[in-house]
Amino acid sequence: MKGLAHLFMGLAAVVVLLPIVVVSAAALNGGRSMLFPPQDPTLSRFAEFFLTQPVWRDAMLNSVLIAAGSAALAVLIAWPLAYGLWREQGRGAQILAGLGAMPFALPPIVFGVGLGFFWGFSGGLGSLWTGIISHAVLFLALPLVTISIGLQSIDRAHLDAAATMGATEATAFRTIIAPQMLPYTASGFFFAFVLSFNEFIVMFFVSSSAYATVTLQIFNSLRNGFTPTMAVGAITFIAVSVAVFSLVARLGDLPRLMGADQTKS
Amino acid sequence: MSAIEDTSALPAEAPTRRLPSPRMLILWALIVTFCVVPFGLVLAISFGQKIEGAAWEWAFTGENYLRFFVGADWPESRTTLYLNRLWYSIYYAVIAALIAVLTAFPFAYLLTRLSRRAQSRWLVFLLATMSLSEVFIVMGWDILLSNRSGLPMVLRETGVTAWLKDVGWFAQLREWGLANPRDVKFKTSMVATVLTMSYLVWPYAVILLYPALSRLDQSTVEAARTMGAGPWTVMRTVVLPTVRLPLVGTVFLLFVFLLGTYVSVTVFADPSQQTLAISVYEAVRGSTLNAPFGAAQAVILLITGALCLWLGRTLVARTGTPA
Repeated sequence: MKGLAHLFMGLAAVVVLLPIVVVSAAALNGGRSMLFPPQDPTLSRFAEFFLTQPVWRDAMLNSVLIAAGSAALAVLIAWPLAYGLWREQGRGAQILAGLGAMPFALPPIVFGVGLGFFWGFSGGLGSLWTGIISHAVLFLALPLVTISIGLQSIDRAHLDAAATMGATEATAFRTIIAPQMLPYTASGFFFAFVLSFNEFIVMFFVSSSAYATVTLQIFNSLRNGFTPTMAVGAITFIAVSVAVFSLVARLGDLPRLMGADQTKS
Repeated sequence: MSAIEDTSALPAEAPTRRLPSPRMLILWALIVTFCVVPFGLVLAISFGQKIEGAAWEWAFTGENYLRFFVGADWPESRTTLYLNRLWYSIYYAVIAALIAVLTAFPFAYLLTRLSRRAQSRWLVFLLATMSLSEVFIVMGWDILLSNRSGLPMVLRETGVTAWLKDVGWFAQLREWGLANPRDVKFKTSMVATVLTMSYLVWPYAVILLYPALSRLDQSTVEAARTMGAGPWTVMRTVVLPTVRLPLVGTVFLLFVFLLGTYVSVTVFADPSQQTLAISVYEAVRGSTLNAPFGAAQAVILLITGALCLWLGRTLVARTGTPA
């Protein structure tokens, strides 16, 4: 039974890895076409992606800017929201949090179309900063959830004790809440960062072809067929995701963050 | 973060509890502007009308919806092109969500039985693949299923294709749209579309099922085992009834998510079997350029999703909540 279980999990992992491995290997192709196994293996595609081809270099820069900016913004909005929800636990705060999570829960293409109209009217369509705001709103739900999970773990008795000893709420916040919340805040930031990095359809409507991120650039080149240089992009993205989530796992308790039972170890 | 709310335990600095604080008002304004207004705009524009020459104007007409259900020339002629697309949106999403949940369930169950460290490592792996962009996933499957270097080539080289022809199953494959006159092909096919879509949400399925399975009371499982129940009996009589709710919930969540899939469908689905997401794009940004009609289709997509979520909820409520 145990062997069978391991076999099943292993098999699932293989299927999940299959397209990823194939794409990664295709990056080594010497020629212009995506062949597997790679023909005439070379590493020059990596140089093309990161250094010599401005299209990809700019797209990479845009992706990083949007991901970092939007994740930071999402955390900044999510913090007071989660904190208000935790302190007040009123109906109003709940509705507000629900509305904030709505863009993430509904089909992204509808939100993308809506944001396209929204920025069209307000005149920001096709600017990088509107891309940043759009992703911050789309992924607001992620830091909202991680920060809320973190706040639930704070022992209110400590806050009462601090208050009895004359600490103001600001002091209590700084000395009790903030230090404990750091890993959860960071996790929320990184979740938003990675998902923004990989997001496609909302950016597609919001960028209005004025600039491209890596995912947009790949989709734009799709009509001409995939090239090995794009596969380098895929490898980079996978590496970033694995690195970021490993970091999150190291920072805090990933199983707990994903909703596992805390009593088991 | 020094904005402060009053609680009984701490000194009151904002004594007017009944009135929302300025901080909450700002948050309300922010959330309503960015999370609600875009959806409102889609709804409002769906009642607008197109002016010839690639623009549109505000109006209050049901024309776009009429066109969706019966076609622009109704009542002279009736076309179900867009209803057909909606049907394919639902069809792909349902099958892909079901496949993903059915295969993710045993995986998530086994995952929760591992040590905390091993769980953490698997979660990193799952999260990394989950966040992987649809364009990369489509790229990978495109290579795997392409006629030149993918599975069809493997089948041809290993002689499976020839064998299929000998046995006569090849004709059946052609009927299913999985073969051209000479070779097996997956591009374009429904199989490839659904496969890629379920791959897309598989890690989501595991992660959504993970909390429920992880909180499953192991003592009941052990009790059943001591009373002599086999692993399958335990699964059927103890585990499944307990997690029925999250299981159904996950299917519906993934379904709503998949309704808007764009890249997989453009690449893998036959032009005659494309979905509403594609025509939304075509109307808003692409060739047909009719924003109000695109918005109307987006609204219909949204309503379909909302209806299914509601249906799922009532279904779950009807069958009763398990202990």
